[in-house]
Amino acid sequence: MTNKPTRTTPFTLNWKIAGQAGEGVMVISKMMAKICKRHGLQAFNYLEYPSLIKGGHQTGQVFASNHQASCQKKELDILVTLNKNGFKEHRDEITPQTLIIYNSNAGELDKKKHTQLTSNIVEIPFSSITKEKTGSFNAANIAVLGASAYFLGFDPQIVEKIIKDEFAGKNKKIIKDDLLAFKVGFAAAKKIGQPIKKTPKLKDDQILLTGNEAVGLGAIAAGVQFYSAYPMTPATALLHYLAAQQENYPLVVKHSEDEIGAINHALGASFAGIRAMTGTSGGGFALMAESVSLASMAEIPLVILEAQRKGPATGLPTWTEQADLSFILTAGHGDTQRIVFTPGTVAEHFELTKKAFYLAEKYQIPVFILSDKFILESHQTMPKPESKHEPLRQSMIKSAPKDNSFRRYKITKDGVSPRSIPGQEHGLQLTNSYEHDEFGYGTEEIATTISQVEKRTRKMDSLAKEIAQPYLIGPKKAEVTFVCWGSTINVVSQLIYDQSLAKKQTVNAIHLPTMWPFPKKEFTKLANKTNKLIMIEGNQSGQGERLIKQETNIVFSDRIHRYDGRPFYVADLQIWLKNRK
Amino acid sequence: MPCTITANSIKSPITPTWCPGCGDFMILNALQKAFVELELVEANTVIFYGIGCSGNMADFNRAYGFHGLHGRALPNAIGAKLANHKLKIVVIAGDGDFYGEGLNHFISLARGNHDVTVIVHNNSRYSLTTGQSSPTTKKGIKTKSTPTGLVEKPFNPIASALVAEASFVARGYSTKFLDLIQLIKAGISHSGFSLIDVIQLCPSFNKKEDHPFFAERIYNLATVDHNPNDKIAAMTRAQETEKIPLGIFYQDKNSVPYHAHLSQIETQSLIDQRPNQTNINLAMAKFK
Repeated sequence: MTNKPTRTTPFTLNWKIAGQAGEGVMVISKMMAKICKRHGLQAFNYLEYPSLIKGGHQTGQVFASNHQASCQKKELDILVTLNKNGFKEHRDEITPQTLIIYNSNAGELDKKKHTQLTSNIVEIPFSSITKEKTGSFNAANIAVLGASAYFLGFDPQIVEKIIKDEFAGKNKKIIKDDLLAFKVGFAAAKKIGQPIKKTPKLKDDQILLTGNEAVGLGAIAAGVQFYSAYPMTPATALLHYLAAQQENYPLVVKHSEDEIGAINHALGASFAGIRAMTGTSGGGFALMAESVSLASMAEIPLVILEAQRKGPATGLPTWTEQADLSFILTAGHGDTQRIVFTPGTVAEHFELTKKAFYLAEKYQIPVFILSDKFILESHQTMPKPESKHEPLRQSMIKSAPKDNSFRRYKITKDGVSPRSIPGQEHGLQLTNSYEHDEFGYGTEEIATTISQVEKRTRKMDSLAKEIAQPYLIGPKKAEVTFVCWGSTINVVSQLIYDQSLAKKQTVNAIHLPTMWPFPKKEFTKLANKTNKLIMIEGNQSGQGERLIKQETNIVFSDRIHRYDGRPFYVADLQIWLKNRK
Repeated sequence: MPCTITANSIKSPITPTWCPGCGDFMILNALQKAFVELELVEANTVIFYGIGCSGNMADFNRAYGFHGLHGRALPNAIGAKLANHKLKIVVIAGDGDFYGEGLNHFISLARGNHDVTVIVHNNSRYSLTTGQSSPTTKKGIKTKSTPTGLVEKPFNPIASALVAEASFVARGYSTKFLDLIQLIKAGISHSGFSLIDVIQLCPSFNKKEDHPFFAERIYNLATVDHNPNDKIAAMTRAQETEKIPLGIFYQDKNSVPYHAHLSQIETQSLIDQRPNQTNINLAMAKFK
């Protein structure tokens, strides 16, 4: 996933916008990332927003490069602020070179105060120039995009095409006004100064999507036909995405009465033979835990997205964290089976969701996609995937013997029993949450109980060879090896890439895309070749490290934890490396 | 020809474990009889069971079945119905199961008019856990969990189903066996959400509400001037406490089930559209 440095001169741009919720900050930040992608750049769009609908302080930021751009960055080329708050809130991200674009309709600036930050402040009255041209303030955010496009040296045709694409389906007046607003913003910027960048135009062969959308796309590639969920940030966008796909695919999306209903709807659909999924965040998943146990016992395939956010309880609901790992590993009463995938990049979310459906069906167990707000709600570019996929059915019988001898829970060597689905003649079976015999009838008999428990357990050994294995990123030898799971690799791999450009390689990393069953052998093999192992994870208690210690006895030299709801930054890791003794 | 259910085919090799005199025997027999009389196709009939004495029926039917968790049989059933709406789906639950643990599912999903038939074994006790009060236990009753008498008033399943927009609402009684068969047949034949609350004798933990107790209180709605298309009249009957009406309280003759609103399964069920190949171009159109 870390690109090999190419011979092209590195080009980067780092743009941020700050404003109130309701001012269109998120929309143009995404459009900004899309513009970068259409210029052929890698791009990452990171959003921060409070849990409210109007007001508050909201930001979007886009880092893009013709080399690697896998996360957000701190030091800004451009900060657009729609009000005075932006100066105060983002002081740390402003350098003497940062160009600040200020919406002067938000009040006169105290120049002295702000020129301490940077001398490059451009004031444009976006609201009034938009109103003048279009008759309303609605498209003022597009005027901001126009000014940004000018200063970054974008191809205006690419931007105009994106405006048309973004608002396709809306009424013509909206698109007309947006195009006007873009032009007026662009012209206003041109009157003031020179572009600070000339963005190159390269081949556009990527797609740009969020982690949530990548999970949805992977699910569709895998032939998902049922998704049930109760809205909860940051998994809600998957519900929206799949709900919209109902018009394109044989798919039913059910907004359920609660999370208990959501997981049980999905289990019912899966029992009936189609590929089914549910999704939620930590709090909603807590309600589902009982049914994870059901899925494991009754051997019903299920894919679950658990989208972590900052807890505990309601916590910081629109911020990120990686603190549900311990919970996910054991959620569900009894000795239960599961797979826990912890994908890093958006591309890996796509691949592992596909794989999750395959493994869930083949081994008839719950498979988790454990991710977090940071990557699920950020846009990232990835190579355009193949259009066609073949979701071949697993572990299902084509027909049942006519003598009614079919055994749903047949004891087998690999632990996988054949599965019939309702509608199949002679395939009658009882899918049972009670301990059961081979036909599915309830039993409390000793030998049957033991043989069924052991059969289910054997599946974990059988599937171990099919999980996503840990892998090394960066140089083979390094002073420091970061170990991470989930979204953190996006930041760590950017650090490693930046080091390679600077020809100062001190760091490599081991990324774990599967946390259960824990890949003991592969991880130990990689860990044994390292110098200093540093665990880096987005929680306070060191849940990933605890798991690794439990499974391998490997001891870490040090650890970096973050638990303030914010993602890791390359700049912070660089400081950590510098201060390291 | 696909096999239809017969009196023999539906019997499982397992002998029922209910207490002697339990109303569940009659409900099981009525259900099996209804299946046979409706000539249901064996492979297309699926029963979802909750947890309790009622749910133990799972072992006594030889049929496609899903014995899930306490309170959760209904959402399981509805997921399966959406996956394959050609299936005939029956939910077997108890009063604690359906009106207690699973109440949110009942009230929320009845509104969707999913085409499933729910048979609630209502003995006003949690009998499998040895006789605590249930949502339908009468106020003042002393049980192990309410030694000084139950404070709450009982839940009214019939009135609640009507308010929750169920399109078929009926009450049976385990001892009125022939009527119960007809009610179950009517419920299964109804296209939409059918609730059949069945008063069930529990000789172990609800001895006072025995057959003589019910015999002097019950009457059949078919014998009085009741129009089951009249929801207000149904609501009035549902409020009766001295006498206990049996039969169909309400049926919406114009009922349109949930799945019939979904254009993506208008011509074929989801299961019949299971993809062997997928093309994700439409799904990624917006990412370009």
